[in-house]
Amino acid sequence: MPADLRARRRYTAAVLGERAAPEPTAAEDPDPVVRGVITDVSRHVVCVATSQGEERFLLDAATTLWCGREADRSALRVGDDALVRCRAGRWVAERIWLRIARVTGVIAARSGDTLEVDTGHTGGRRPVVIPYRSSGRIGVRHPVLEPGYLFDAIGVWEDGVVEAAVPATTQPPLAVWDAAPREVPAQAGNRVQGAVSWYDPAADAPEQAGLRGAAYPALDRDGDCGPECDRVRSCLPLPLLSLGTTVALRNECAEAAAVLPVLACASAAAHFCDSCADCGPGEQGRVAQLTLPSFVALGGRPEAGCFNATLTVGW
Amino acid sequence: MGSVLDVVRETQLPVLAVVLLLGAVAKFADRSQRGQGPAVLLPVGWRRAATLAHGVAEGTVAFALLGASGAAGGAAARIAAAALFACGVAALVVLRRTAPETGCGCFGGLSTAPVDWRSIARSALLAVSALAAVGVPATAAGVVVGASTGHAAVVAIETVLLGVLSPESAELARRATRRVPCAVREVPLKRTLARLRASDLWRINAALLEDTEPKDVWRHGCWRFVLFTGRRTGRCVDVVFGVPVEGRRPGVRAVIADRETGTLLSVLGGPADGGRADPVPATASAAADDHRAVGRPRAPRRPTSARQRDLL
Repeated sequence: MPADLRARRRYTAAVLGERAAPEPTAAEDPDPVVRGVITDVSRHVVCVATSQGEERFLLDAATTLWCGREADRSALRVGDDALVRCRAGRWVAERIWLRIARVTGVIAARSGDTLEVDTGHTGGRRPVVIPYRSSGRIGVRHPVLEPGYLFDAIGVWEDGVVEAAVPATTQPPLAVWDAAPREVPAQAGNRVQGAVSWYDPAADAPEQAGLRGAAYPALDRDGDCGPECDRVRSCLPLPLLSLGTTVALRNECAEAAAVLPVLACASAAAHFCDSCADCGPGEQGRVAQLTLPSFVALGGRPEAGCFNATLTVGW
Repeated sequence: MGSVLDVVRETQLPVLAVVLLLGAVAKFADRSQRGQGPAVLLPVGWRRAATLAHGVAEGTVAFALLGASGAAGGAAARIAAAALFACGVAALVVLRRTAPETGCGCFGGLSTAPVDWRSIARSALLAVSALAAVGVPATAAGVVVGASTGHAAVVAIETVLLGVLSPESAELARRATRRVPCAVREVPLKRTLARLRASDLWRINAALLEDTEPKDVWRHGCWRFVLFTGRRTGRCVDVVFGVPVEGRRPGVRAVIADRETGTLLSVLGGPADGGRADPVPATASAAADDHRAVGRPRAPRRPTSARQRDLL
């Protein structure tokens, strides 16, 4: 019987109290984050086909675009994936990210400028190309691009392959198997501070482009991580949870907060013991990977890759 | 004086055999990808093989010390043991220079403290012990069978000496005294089910269940939830037990809900609505208090009518 994730939250709240498993925060109305495919572009309007239908957004002088780097309106192309952050009641596009993609995991193989990255037992291996124009920036934050080393970069989809554009965080010049074994934490509270990154569920399932929620790096092995589980111990004292659990996240950089359901296993994120420098250095380690729309809704900048946050379980 | 020296030399045989056997077992038990000790100087693909080969060598020499006697067998085993430990000294010196944060790996995952003078001195001492045992007519097994008070005294002194020279003793003490917080502790499902089946709530509600195998299992910090399907007064119901993952007499809780509508029918064994029951202690400093209150379950109380609130 497949797990009913909503029932899990409901029953958890019934047994432990509503504060232990609060309901996920509903999206703002109108939702300021829209994900879809561009169907038409004119000088002042862009049309985006979403799961709810086609929507038009005004492009004004303050509208900015990102397509691997800051771009102008000529980057808008019909058929491209677009993530739009709106203002003025969902009329005006504030910022648009085009064909944005991310690859996070452990390098499994390298062939020239193409890496194959193991993104964990749920994501499998993904190819990523490092074009010459990005290799300098990537190399500064990822000093060794060889099998066994961590890789995390944001880029754009080009002809079905991710082209890395900017590195997310700085990685140590150590293979994962050479990292010191992580200690079992002596204490674990219900609040953990660390970095939050994002992933795109639409990379595997386009119908999940607008999904709101989080992937969590410390899922219970018996419940959800399963026999193929490749989760390692995180460098943060993360409580063990399961799919369907809700966690409260507060973006310390943007003073925004939300309760999100745990939707997936972020086993690859558990390898990362880096810190996010988006708004000053934070704690080392990652507390969660949000879906791309949730990350933007919580005030994150996808091209920055992360923000510092406080995760609360059962507040 | 001669007999005292003989006792000391004879005692080295069982001591060496035990140390080598423990080292071999620990190396086989260590499954870390990183590897331990001098093996980390090798390419990652060779580390496990090198560790296993080292373990096989140690085990073989240990068994030879236990049983082999005479010039061909006994002396060869003791010289091999001395060579193993002498090579260990050289490898640890190199390891300390090239990878100073790495443990010696002498006892697998237990030897993770950075190599220091103690590990090197221990290997050197054991190499000298093995050389001292060359020429002793007895075997390690023979020494154990015919052990005297003198042998026991030497073993005791050497145990203390090796303990002082072993960083692993501090690690062992740390592991023995450390409590892993319940929220991060990996607990096998079997143990959770055993705790559940030993509870009063299980015994009282087992008759409702259609199947004693859970249909869903999930974790929420210090609690694991187990869902069973059942029937109550002709209705299909979900029976969900909340089982604390620690505590000697865990306070199991349960809810019974209509499977079709999700309506709660009964809440058993603890506060359910509006009660504060954090799955993990609120803060590190409050952990101790919360352990008493919620993080660690209280001793179970029988689900009396006051605690068993039937919602219908």
